[in-house]
Amino acid sequence: MPGALSGFRIIECGEMVSAAYASKLMADMGAEVIKIESPHVGDAARQRGPFPGGEPHAEKSGLYLFLNTNKRGITLDLEQAQGQEVLQRLVKDADLLIHNVHPKHMPATGLDYGRLAAINPGLVMTSITPFGLRGPHAEYEASDLTLWNAGGLCFLNGGGPGTDHLPPLKAFGQQSGFTAGVHAAVASLGALFAKLRGGLGQHVEFSVQECLMGISEFGTMMASYAGMAVTRLGHKPIQPLDLLECKDGWIFICCVEEHHWHSFVDLMDNPEWATEPIFEDRLKRGESWDALKLLIQDWVKDFTVQDLYLKAQARRIPFAPVSTMGYLLNSEHLNARGFFVQLDHPEAGSLTYPGAPHICSETPWELRRPAPCLGQHNAEVYAELGMTDQDMAALQQAGAV
Amino acid sequence: MSRPPLDGIRVTDFCWAWAGPYGALQLAHLGAEVIRIESAKRLCPSRLIPPWPDNESGVNRAGYFNQYNQGKRSLTLDLKAPEAIDIAKTLVSKSDIVMNNFASGVMEKLGVGYDVLRRIKPDIIMVSLPGYGTSGPEKDFVSYGPPQVAQSGLSALTGYVGGPPMMAGFSYGDPNGGVHATFAVMAALLHREKTGQGQYIDLSQWEAAIMLLPEALMDYSMNGTQPERMGNRDPHMAPHGVFRSKGDDRWVSLSVRDEAEWQRLCEVMGQPELSSDTRFASLAARKENEAALEEIVTAWTQERTADEATQALQNAGIPAYPALDALDMVNSPHVGARDYFVELEHPEVGTRRHMGIPWTMSRTPCEIRRPAPCLGQDTDAVLTDVVGLSQDEIAALREKDILT
Repeated sequence: MPGALSGFRIIECGEMVSAAYASKLMADMGAEVIKIESPHVGDAARQRGPFPGGEPHAEKSGLYLFLNTNKRGITLDLEQAQGQEVLQRLVKDADLLIHNVHPKHMPATGLDYGRLAAINPGLVMTSITPFGLRGPHAEYEASDLTLWNAGGLCFLNGGGPGTDHLPPLKAFGQQSGFTAGVHAAVASLGALFAKLRGGLGQHVEFSVQECLMGISEFGTMMASYAGMAVTRLGHKPIQPLDLLECKDGWIFICCVEEHHWHSFVDLMDNPEWATEPIFEDRLKRGESWDALKLLIQDWVKDFTVQDLYLKAQARRIPFAPVSTMGYLLNSEHLNARGFFVQLDHPEAGSLTYPGAPHICSETPWELRRPAPCLGQHNAEVYAELGMTDQDMAALQQAGAV
Repeated sequence: MSRPPLDGIRVTDFCWAWAGPYGALQLAHLGAEVIRIESAKRLCPSRLIPPWPDNESGVNRAGYFNQYNQGKRSLTLDLKAPEAIDIAKTLVSKSDIVMNNFASGVMEKLGVGYDVLRRIKPDIIMVSLPGYGTSGPEKDFVSYGPPQVAQSGLSALTGYVGGPPMMAGFSYGDPNGGVHATFAVMAALLHREKTGQGQYIDLSQWEAAIMLLPEALMDYSMNGTQPERMGNRDPHMAPHGVFRSKGDDRWVSLSVRDEAEWQRLCEVMGQPELSSDTRFASLAARKENEAALEEIVTAWTQERTADEATQALQNAGIPAYPALDALDMVNSPHVGARDYFVELEHPEVGTRRHMGIPWTMSRTPCEIRRPAPCLGQDTDAVLTDVVGLSQDEIAALREKDILT
């Protein structure tokens, strides 16, 4: 059975996460993705790990292996004229070129939409950029950390009793890249839909900063509706929504609706303090959280995480465990849904990967191939472009592949 | 030529709270007609929580709702009434996409499960995005965006060195689940355009959040180890952090990615001799002496505003940006110059600044054409123009209290 995106040809020029995650989502849905990496070192994600036994190896980086499933990989130096000529041959039959090359380097790498569209008017090109292609900060350098700050998300986290002097806290990993990647994939598919209907491609410009501002939660609306800056310090508007410590780990306690709170109070055997007016509704509980948290923490500490989680869920209170990786991989629920998949890679061996977050009734999600080794598909892809052994030798001579 | 990509695509949107509405918002951004079904008898929580202008509450005044429902229409229906279900079915028969993020089984109980809807509209694309998905032993468990941050594993990985697990974002699981659902819907829509075939998509918000932390999951898969919390540090870059700058609780973030950037940082800080200091002569050395390194950087940043530090570092090609708070964001000159903010006149809150669309398209421009709807604002128009009811029929339904 074909995947939902079978037949779409996608070229990815991606370093690290954003463009690679976008095209992975598409590849796992059946699209044919060719990933272009620079010769010699390839995608920086190859250097990031994690690695088996902690030993760095360009073909065994966990981040790279995850992000590049179902893709074919070629090497090509886009800073050379010969490399750009090959890129032009590649885009001739492509539906989408998606990249996260910094705007400063786009001209030098041949990523000029006007020129590429002259070769293939049906081409969609998505440029994932830190701050957009125009505006005073367009040429700013960025990292995942600085973007998480530019999108206002870092300022929301960290702090708390005894740690208010510590800085705003980033989320684990490469969250700017992942969040930008999935949004850019949505926008790209929108442009591909327009192409299916009207035949023409276009240039999609994507700003990671704006994407993150758009999910920065109640922060931006507090500012424009109430003139307030929400910070990691001070109180959340509603409570309980917090992490507490059980006897064998941590749990997230959550009472969004009043009925959640009433059920939770009942679960706690209706302690007298729960009737205090300062805990009367979710907004008041937000204001009085310092006091309330101590009372609840004292009750929570005697439970195991699983016991309290299951007791709460039995009453339809949305508590959740603070999962460790081991907990996730052993979760009966996730395994019953087939979320984790086993995949064999020629260098990294057989490993368990996160699979698909969705089950589509008519179009299968599948891992058809592991992430490519560096330049693994050069001969195959260049032959498809009609290039001869001589052409290849010339490119190699020039160091372009 | 200038119609948006999803012009003519209609979405029947049963979503509520946040994850689903955020996903449907992306479809509205792409130009789909999103008809959100609501009821005054069971109001969306996002209409009931602050912020409100002048701290005066009101179902049409909530910033949360008004941000995440821009561009949509609002149809009020009491889905407990059989007549309302008939209307919803007629609406589905004229739609391309159905979205919901109710707990598993709710749509079936209402009588609008996929098996029913596919008979009404064989090529319908339907997505359900409950917290746990619609299968598996915990499928009936309840979930919201904030607990998903913990449940996905992100909290256990996020936190200061030696400190407890922490939150990432506030309700990060919500927009993440919503946008992953929209990705699957868009793929299904392309498939339908090519083949004529619709389908049902079961998306688990929990699983969508696990997609965000492959480094940790693969580490466990490879080595059986749970990564330690490392604050704002990075295993491959140093210095890498958020540093105190001049002002009350003001901070600047920076990342030094390689040796050349480290040399330039030393120069920017006016301490070129540092670059030959053996404590910091390589990434490994800087990681080894990271606390001392961070003190040196802080001594420099705290004498400057976050903007001044950012400017100096960017001039040297080093990634840096102030840790923006929400007021900084809505007043950002850079973002303001890019026409990202949306300020449309709303009948109850006037003109407020909202976050817009993070992409532009050169041939089929996307824009937010209307502010978030007031509750039930489009009920009559939708029932007349889309469902095809007469004025008398609408009046009769209203009489029976079904249209609230």
